[in-house]
Amino acid sequence: MVMPEDVKTYIEQGLPCEHIELVGDGQHFQALIVSAEFRGKNRVQRHQRVYQALGERMREEVHALSMQTLTPEEWREQAT
Amino acid sequence: MSAQQRIKEQVTGHQVVLYMKGTPQAPQCGFSANAVAILKACGATDIFTVDVLADAEIRQGIKSYANWPTIPQLYVKGEFVGGSDIMGEMYQSGELQKLLAS
Repeated sequence: MVMPEDVKTYIEQGLPCEHIELVGDGQHFQALIVSAEFRGKNRVQRHQRVYQALGERMREEVHALSMQTLTPEEWREQAT
Repeated sequence: MSAQQRIKEQVTGHQVVLYMKGTPQAPQCGFSANAVAILKACGATDIFTVDVLADAEIRQGIKSYANWPTIPQLYVKGEFVGGSDIMGEMYQSGELQKLLAS
């Protein structure tokens, strides 16, 4: 079974993240991902970038991943 | 006809198309159920849904069509809008209601 910690590592290996939070039950995961690479990208492009980082694992190991994708600026704004 | 051609005909032939697991009456996945609920909350009545569980070729082909590996997937006027997270965010911000009403 895939643990949230594993999915977190997979994403971090393929995408430089400023901050990442991941929870899940082994099949369904929820993530908050903050990356400077999201700047200038719309929501679809951001999610595609995360799927790209996960590669084949998205098809084989991760059944579902809910995500919130923020730039560092958006994240700081949300935190205040 | 190839799966890609069939998908293209579906998304361009209808205003609002949702690829989902199951049917609106009997969704087979929580994310698909959520997508249907969001569209209903937006007041969308004319939704063309495709049950990917009933069509293995479409189920595989839809992942590469918009370079998106998960289901549900929403298309409006032939354009890929997003999956259930994005639909939720756009509903919260009011963007989805606007897009569907346009």
